[in-house]
Amino acid sequence: MTVALCLFGVPVEGEARDLRDTITSLWPDGIRLQPTAPPFPSHEPHFRASSLQGLDSLNTSLASSLGFLSLNSSASSFTFDIERGVPVRTTDSLGPLLAERAPTLGRGKFDLALTYTRIEFSRFQGRPLDKLTVDFQHEDSNGNGIRDTTGPFSFESDVVRANIKLSIKEDIWALFGTYGITRNWDVGIVVPIIHIQLRAVGDATVVRNSPVSQFVHNFGPDSSPSHVSGGGDKTGIGDILLRTKYNFLRNQGAWPDLAVLGQVKLPSGDPDNLLGTGHTNFLPMLVASKTYGFLTPHVNAGYELTTGPREDDNLRYIVGFDTRLHPRLTVATDLLGRWEPNRNGNGSHILDLAFGLKWNPVGSFLVGGYAQIPLNRNEGLRANVIWSLAAEYIF
Amino acid sequence: MGVGLLGRLILSLLMVLLTLLSSAVPVRAADVAVILSADVDAYSEALKGFKTALRHKIVAEYSMEGDFDRGRKQVSEISAKVKPDLIFAVGIWALQVVAKEATSMPVVYAMVLNPPSVIGTGAKNITGASMNVPVERTLRMLKQLGPQIRRVGIVFDRAKTGYLVARAEAVAREEGLQLVAREIHSAKEAIPALDTLAEQAIDALWVLPDETNLVPTVLQQMLLFSYRRKVPLIGLSESHAQMGAVLSLSFASSEDIGRQAGELANSILDGKAPADIPYTTARRVRLTVNLKAAQKLGMEIPKSILGAANSVIQ
Repeated sequence: MTVALCLFGVPVEGEARDLRDTITSLWPDGIRLQPTAPPFPSHEPHFRASSLQGLDSLNTSLASSLGFLSLNSSASSFTFDIERGVPVRTTDSLGPLLAERAPTLGRGKFDLALTYTRIEFSRFQGRPLDKLTVDFQHEDSNGNGIRDTTGPFSFESDVVRANIKLSIKEDIWALFGTYGITRNWDVGIVVPIIHIQLRAVGDATVVRNSPVSQFVHNFGPDSSPSHVSGGGDKTGIGDILLRTKYNFLRNQGAWPDLAVLGQVKLPSGDPDNLLGTGHTNFLPMLVASKTYGFLTPHVNAGYELTTGPREDDNLRYIVGFDTRLHPRLTVATDLLGRWEPNRNGNGSHILDLAFGLKWNPVGSFLVGGYAQIPLNRNEGLRANVIWSLAAEYIF
Repeated sequence: MGVGLLGRLILSLLMVLLTLLSSAVPVRAADVAVILSADVDAYSEALKGFKTALRHKIVAEYSMEGDFDRGRKQVSEISAKVKPDLIFAVGIWALQVVAKEATSMPVVYAMVLNPPSVIGTGAKNITGASMNVPVERTLRMLKQLGPQIRRVGIVFDRAKTGYLVARAEAVAREEGLQLVAREIHSAKEAIPALDTLAEQAIDALWVLPDETNLVPTVLQQMLLFSYRRKVPLIGLSESHAQMGAVLSLSFASSEDIGRQAGELANSILDGKAPADIPYTTARRVRLTVNLKAAQKLGMEIPKSILGAANSVIQ
């Protein structure tokens, strides 16, 4: 039955139990072609991929791509009018989209937010996910230590090229809770629930570099399937974030408001199913913001350290501004950067631009939405656009 | 029936014993509840100062976050559950709510401008530390500017600063100055009132902590008046001096105002009636001098004023 399906071009399902093994499980033992018949030397052509040519790092990129979720405090604040002797509600905006701003919520306040984010990844290291290729090289049949290109063993120069079409989609529901312990000190938690859908379809063909290739290298009923597929859906809790922010400078003349933020990402997400990194991450961050008239620029910068591979350590920064178009409407823009200085020997730099708005329809209730687009598409695992919606209430 | 010698002796001994016992038992620390009008630095500093001065215990702290409904609920909770011996209200909003809701409990306030216009004069349970600069300080500073300063012009709304003007008139008389006052009822009347002051040949113009004076157009007109008539303007804040007032006097420390309130609270909790304790004015005052403005008016600022200035705009 399997043979028949292969011959008619229907993909064979791989046997990956965990989503992280989806690609490696497409042809788990390499590709074996149809055994040759006389008069050609009898052999079972066996092609192997020396590595998955970088695709194995896709798993890490996928799990760590969730790190940009942010926890905003968009409470309104007061300044003091010394001449009238009364507090004056500031005309601050409703807060940035993805960045933090320095002021804290305020003692005894509780900010509850729910966000929904949809990510449909489209490129990995600049390559379209639906046009990935992996080359499987012929094994050294005569044992001479080289891949022969001439002579009777020239068929060793043939290559089996697998075209892999990947589809990765994520739906992330994140529940944010922030509590103001003191006027200047917030603590918070983010609990993401992630639904991930990963599909991989492989289509292998022989790249013929030898005159005898067509006689010895062919797919057939006794070969590995040329069309395979794998993947599945998983839903589960992602990596939980614990956060604390301390605002140590506020309303000091020309100085910006300043805060320090500490974040711990716990390995609560299942790394085997790409729901988490499997490591604990620590992110200390400096946050600066200041309102100048109708404009509130903000800068966040920090270095994230992980208990996992050193290549995953990264410098994060967000530069942007938010502005209040109307007392109940704020628009904001953020430039988001993540630089992994130890990756690939020369570093990896991911740069995105986010823009969106926040609306305050009633009381302390806020709704918002933003779109995030990549500015450099050749780095990391990227989506053409990431959409996010948020609802927030301050008690 | 008369009391015998022995009876009087026993009674005296009992009195002595009771006195000794009462002095041996430590005085109970009274409970104080705090309510802030909003989360602003000035109020936090005042609370800090209050805590350093207070000899009693703060059992609850609330912030009404500028929300009067929230404030009313908080005061209800204070009255019903916390039941403190005294409420400390920081800022005008907290004072307004507490004055209305907690009519019998002793209340001390801080960081309130023009308290008589907020609570009237009938509240027997309330006193506190205002953020007003003592009128004596302002008028003496004006007098120090030189003997040419004799007639000081003011524009005021009786409902807001009538109490302050009455006090200022008394002090001015003592200092040999004359207040030329124009009473108005809204900011709209301020500019015509300034025109009538121009006819009265005043030597200085004083910006009062009165809403009618603080409307931007009125303040702008006062600055223009100062330049055109070559009379110095006395402002209420450093920003007034930066705008062109020759002198400005404002409270220097929220923390110190909080300390003053803490001292008042101690007196009340030691047994004094709030009605017997008058509200206080800022004892630390910040003086800003604008030399540039003085130069434009052709004035020389005496060294005694420059020496006392916290900030001089060159």
